[in-house]
Amino acid sequence: MSGFVHILGFIVFPYIALTIFVLGHAWRYVTDWKRWNAASSQFLHKDSLKGGITIFHWGSLLTLVGHAGGMLIPQRIYDLFGISEAAHNFMAHWVGLVAGLLMIAGGGWLLVRRIGQDRIAANTSVHDYVLLALLLVVSGLGLYNVVFTHYDVLYSVAPWIRSIVVLAPNPALMAPVPVSYKLHILSAFVLLAYSPFTRLVHIWSAPVTYLYRSYVIFRKLPGTKGA
Amino acid sequence: MKIKAQMTMVLNLDKCLGCHTCSIPCKNVWTSRQGAEYMWFNNVESKPGIGYPKNWEDQGIYRGGWTAKNNRLFLAAGGRVTKLSRIFNNPDLPQIDAYYEPWDYDYGGLVTSPVKKHQPAIRPRSQITGQSMEIQWGPNWEDDLAGVCETGTADTNFAGLDAQKYLEFEQAFMMYLPRLCEHCLSPACAASCPSGALYKRDEDGIVLVDQARCRGWRYCVSGCPYKKVYFNWKTGTSEKCIFCYPRTESGMTTMCSASCVGRIRYVGVILYDAERISQAASAADPKDIYPALVDIMLDPHDPDVLKQAEKQGISEAFLKAAQNSPTDKLMRKWPLALPLHPEYRTLPMVWYVPPLSPLQTGTENKKADETLSDMRIPVKYLANLLAAGDEAPVRRSLKYLMALRAYMRSLRLEKTPDKSILGQAGLDEKLDEPAVLEIYDLLAIAKHKDRFVIPTAPNPDQADMRAAQGEKGFE
Repeated sequence: MSGFVHILGFIVFPYIALTIFVLGHAWRYVTDWKRWNAASSQFLHKDSLKGGITIFHWGSLLTLVGHAGGMLIPQRIYDLFGISEAAHNFMAHWVGLVAGLLMIAGGGWLLVRRIGQDRIAANTSVHDYVLLALLLVVSGLGLYNVVFTHYDVLYSVAPWIRSIVVLAPNPALMAPVPVSYKLHILSAFVLLAYSPFTRLVHIWSAPVTYLYRSYVIFRKLPGTKGA
Repeated sequence: MKIKAQMTMVLNLDKCLGCHTCSIPCKNVWTSRQGAEYMWFNNVESKPGIGYPKNWEDQGIYRGGWTAKNNRLFLAAGGRVTKLSRIFNNPDLPQIDAYYEPWDYDYGGLVTSPVKKHQPAIRPRSQITGQSMEIQWGPNWEDDLAGVCETGTADTNFAGLDAQKYLEFEQAFMMYLPRLCEHCLSPACAASCPSGALYKRDEDGIVLVDQARCRGWRYCVSGCPYKKVYFNWKTGTSEKCIFCYPRTESGMTTMCSASCVGRIRYVGVILYDAERISQAASAADPKDIYPALVDIMLDPHDPDVLKQAEKQGISEAFLKAAQNSPTDKLMRKWPLALPLHPEYRTLPMVWYVPPLSPLQTGTENKKADETLSDMRIPVKYLANLLAAGDEAPVRRSLKYLMALRAYMRSLRLEKTPDKSILGQAGLDEKLDEPAVLEIYDLLAIAKHKDRFVIPTAPNPDQADMRAAQGEKGFE
């Protein structure tokens, strides 16, 4: 990859994607709050959903936690806790394998259901298809990397991601990385940029407050006072 | 004592003629949109029957409402952690077919059809897929017992009765049950909502879904034991009966009650002690929930209650409405109305006066209790519906109604009021004549101003409401 394309891909594009990601969510939350939900299709066809949706979501959660833990936290912190690079890679390999398989299997299940069930197909937008396809591409590339290329990302991709996050991009770190990893990363940034315009927004409304809020909520009419 | 006001409704089933007039304006005003076609905030069911959605009363299927253990309430479908761990796939959610797949007809086909030997026919067409479909269920599928010979055995109100016997033609009985959201004191739908989108209005207790906070997790749908929260399959959020709050706020009654041609509906305010809600809802024996619920209602004429309520900020309009409330009278003062399925422990606030029914043999020289056992609708069935299986409150209500009829007959037709009827009504307490006349006025004459006593909502900023016209609305 020539220097210019490399800079385009690993400095310019990630920041454009992240900008769309942030502004897109804000724009969507303000202008389209009515559709800020999970857009569940369980109500239209229940039995066909259960297996696929469950493994897909647990796979996604595992993927998110795995990437956050492996990429954003530097290896030197793991070293402090006695987790060596080899142990970290071993763990990442197997967790990644499980998460990837769950996501591919679940996502495939959901795509087949979405196309095959008349009611679901009739209630599916282009966004839904593109999103599912994109999720399958990103997770497919990720799974390919886990299974077929054993490249050590801890001192290449991981520090590059952190350099993006802290606004001091260092594209040189990405230079020796295999193409399949680059494609995985670029497609993941496409997914990030696209997510505000899809049902993925429901991730940000994960109802953690349910764990501690009171069961029944009382609300007063706005502007009134009283007991 | 924490006093709160609650908007309530009482339906006098003795006068319901099953005309569905209540459902129609409600449907036209609130749910005539895509995604909401199948929703009926108000529907009228024929009982016996499994209703709409199918088997809604069978909590073995949908696990709605609360259970109680050691005087503590637990959501029947599992608590917070259980719910969040299954949030991707709610195992208790009914599928749309339990209500019905919404349909339309290809009316254009009638107009555009070429000249043929036979008249063109129109077939039902799914409003979800647009394809032609077979209609298999609906909001009043079992209207006037249609098909109940087959579905009726699954009616849970036959508990303790031989259902098969009552589904034979000679023994058949029926009644109507108009249903809407119960606006419960302990709403299981609100407690089930992971996002906290469902809330109870502090001023009047109306339970609403905040459309801006609903994320479509669907637990309210299964959590409501009355299946009165509906999932909009198009927008992905839940919707429910709003007790026509834009009308009640300005002192008008709800669409369903305003349109009721049988004049069976009463709308008013009650006062209750919010501190004792969980105590009442968690009574060990489900039969104790109804008396406990009556017990937490407060007498709006009690000076002590009034003083406290005023101190706690309940508006004068609400206190005055509570004092004249027809529902307070029917629910608390004269124990005629009963809650629908109190055993779900949500403390429902839409109550029903049980219906009298034709007698199977002559009533001469029979005691009230024997007459009741002779009625076409088994008392046990009504008890399962309205009193967690306890016959005593149902018998008391029906005896009241019978004594009322007998006394008014003696007064109006025979022109010689027979006061002995009031003493021999078979009730523990003695009926007094002024009360009987008042009940007669409320139940039989049922004037509009007596049926609906609705306070206007507190005016937020005392601004000129007329000047603000057109400034607020949906979106």
